[in-house]
Amino acid sequence: MIQIIDYGAGNTQSVLNALKQLDIEAEVISSARELADGCKLIFPGVGAASSTMEVLKKSFFADVIPYLKSPFLGICLGMQLLSDFSEEGGVKCLGILEGKVKKFSGNVKVPQIGWNKVKIVNSCDPLFCGIEDDSYFYFVNSYYFDTDPEYVIGKTNYGCEFASAVRKNNFYGVQFHPEKSGEVGLKLLNNFCKLC
Amino acid sequence: MLIVPAIDIIGGKCVRLTKGDYSTVKEYFEDPLAVALKFRDKGFSFLHVIDLEGAGNGYLVNSDIILRIAKEIDIQVGGGIRKYEDAAKLLNEGVKKVVIGTSVFENPLLVRDLIRDFGSDRVIVSIDIKNEEIMTRGWKENSSFRLEKVLEELKSLGVVEVIFTDIERDGMLDGVNFEFVRKVAGCGFKVMIAGGVSCESDIEKLSEFGVDGCVVGKAFYEGFLANNLAKRIVPCMDIKNGRVVKGINFTGLKDAGDPVELGKYYSANGADELIFLDIMATCERRETLYDLVRRIAENINIPFTVGGGVTSLSDIRTLLKSGADKVSIGSFAIKNPDFIKEASRQFGSQCIVISLDPKRISGRWKLFVNGGRVETEVDAVEFAKQMEEYGAGELLINSLDRDGMKNGYDLELLKAITDSVNIPVIASSGAGTKEDFLEAFRAANVDAVLAASLFHYGEVTIPELKKYLNQKCIIVRI
Repeated sequence: MIQIIDYGAGNTQSVLNALKQLDIEAEVISSARELADGCKLIFPGVGAASSTMEVLKKSFFADVIPYLKSPFLGICLGMQLLSDFSEEGGVKCLGILEGKVKKFSGNVKVPQIGWNKVKIVNSCDPLFCGIEDDSYFYFVNSYYFDTDPEYVIGKTNYGCEFASAVRKNNFYGVQFHPEKSGEVGLKLLNNFCKLC
Repeated sequence: MLIVPAIDIIGGKCVRLTKGDYSTVKEYFEDPLAVALKFRDKGFSFLHVIDLEGAGNGYLVNSDIILRIAKEIDIQVGGGIRKYEDAAKLLNEGVKKVVIGTSVFENPLLVRDLIRDFGSDRVIVSIDIKNEEIMTRGWKENSSFRLEKVLEELKSLGVVEVIFTDIERDGMLDGVNFEFVRKVAGCGFKVMIAGGVSCESDIEKLSEFGVDGCVVGKAFYEGFLANNLAKRIVPCMDIKNGRVVKGINFTGLKDAGDPVELGKYYSANGADELIFLDIMATCERRETLYDLVRRIAENINIPFTVGGGVTSLSDIRTLLKSGADKVSIGSFAIKNPDFIKEASRQFGSQCIVISLDPKRISGRWKLFVNGGRVETEVDAVEFAKQMEEYGAGELLINSLDRDGMKNGYDLELLKAITDSVNIPVIASSGAGTKEDFLEAFRAANVDAVLAASLFHYGEVTIPELKKYLNQKCIIVRI
């Protein structure tokens, strides 16, 4: 069983649909009280960092998430909120992975919308099992997570090279949307769901 | 093969020109040293640094910054090196190689003396060719020298390495002219090629020609090699009463009028994204639309946009909740621009697409509303800028002049828009051939291209279109 965090503005339905295509059972939860012991957790995020952090605090997720021991996957904003701080609205985040969320700058259009390549840094990581290096995933983001290279398991180039997949212990984050990235995205979600 | 990133300097800043024309100068970065360090961090070990001002003036102008770069990374330097003392100073202060162009023709003894004193591996001769003629003085003047004769002369001077630049391709991002390469490869020198190197396949092919190295400029700054974000191919389906209209002509589909079936077909056949436009959207029929969106979302896992009749925040909320990734808003945005501010604040820019229907009227593009039936006084380019400011995430640009004409997208309109905004632009209306798509990307710098019946009738298929674009150095997801 997979639990999916719903904070009111996320695209939980897309993740549910993708898991359904994989025949993986999932439920949506909207408060930390509903967390089931040992369940893997997916936190899909779209929208703004500051309002989402507000909701996470109110629903007590913000207190609990840093102490989780089961595999956790933050998607897009859900990955960015694993950071210490986001420049988007100048908000303090969950502080699980050291680093800051910054806005894209330089000679690129913002938001980044579309399919971009992910260079797999750590091909041994089970999240990328069976996924080819330089596969295309679907991105929609104006901000990126500037974190310690130690945590970076996938990199992407958009004006600058940024972390498109990160991991610290049981915490995973992907900047792209695996639930919208066709077959390769489903593969990645399936890999996550199979983690022990 | 050695890949050498280029840094061109004017006024102490990092710039690029197109075809060597000084009037096209485009500034990229304030500090060439920072650019050099970035290349070094990316693993490049050698850079091609040109003092463009120097090349035009006939003497080095930016030597201070160049010597600072030389302290950090190995470089070859060119542009205005016409005196022995200038070259010697560079070579003595850390520059690995000097690139000698014009002087080879005017003062061959310079090359001979430098080779004698510093060695043949520290002098590289640059031959710049435009329409088969050798150009000198910052590519401004053509010489009357013949290539074969010049190469013979270089041999006698002891030259071992030559850079050939194809001026016609330089800064164009449209690929290497391999006819040109064929002519100069195997001339008995170590050969480096510059001009037009735009994508990985160019580099692969160059190494097949036995070329020793290539200089890459603009491709690193804004092209293929700068980022890998793929250009998107987007089929659009017009929906009426929950069914796709405009005849669809695919074999193998159980029900070609079913948007879900068709969506699945396209997403399995290379579409990067889908757009569904409800052309008869009315209040009573909205439930049908929401139900349709839910069924699409359950069955495809690529992004899709839904448009038609959005007039409230709750319309957007319901569409997103039903599974749409983005919502396209047309007439209502023109009538109520402030609505877009509110919508993007509530749902995020990423899901707000503004769809515009411009028509060219006395030299400008006026926007039309209500399915292109009603003219307004709103200027398309100005409105596009306003929408970006109000938080729109993307623009879908139709053209009432080109719609259904199959004579190409309105490149002028699209370029006017992409030049004015910094959000992604989807080109729509007018595609008739594969070349039309290529032109939209190349000439108008759009991010995505939309077509409907062209794809629906199989006149152009997405896999063959992508293959074609890929060959033309447009990055696509294959």
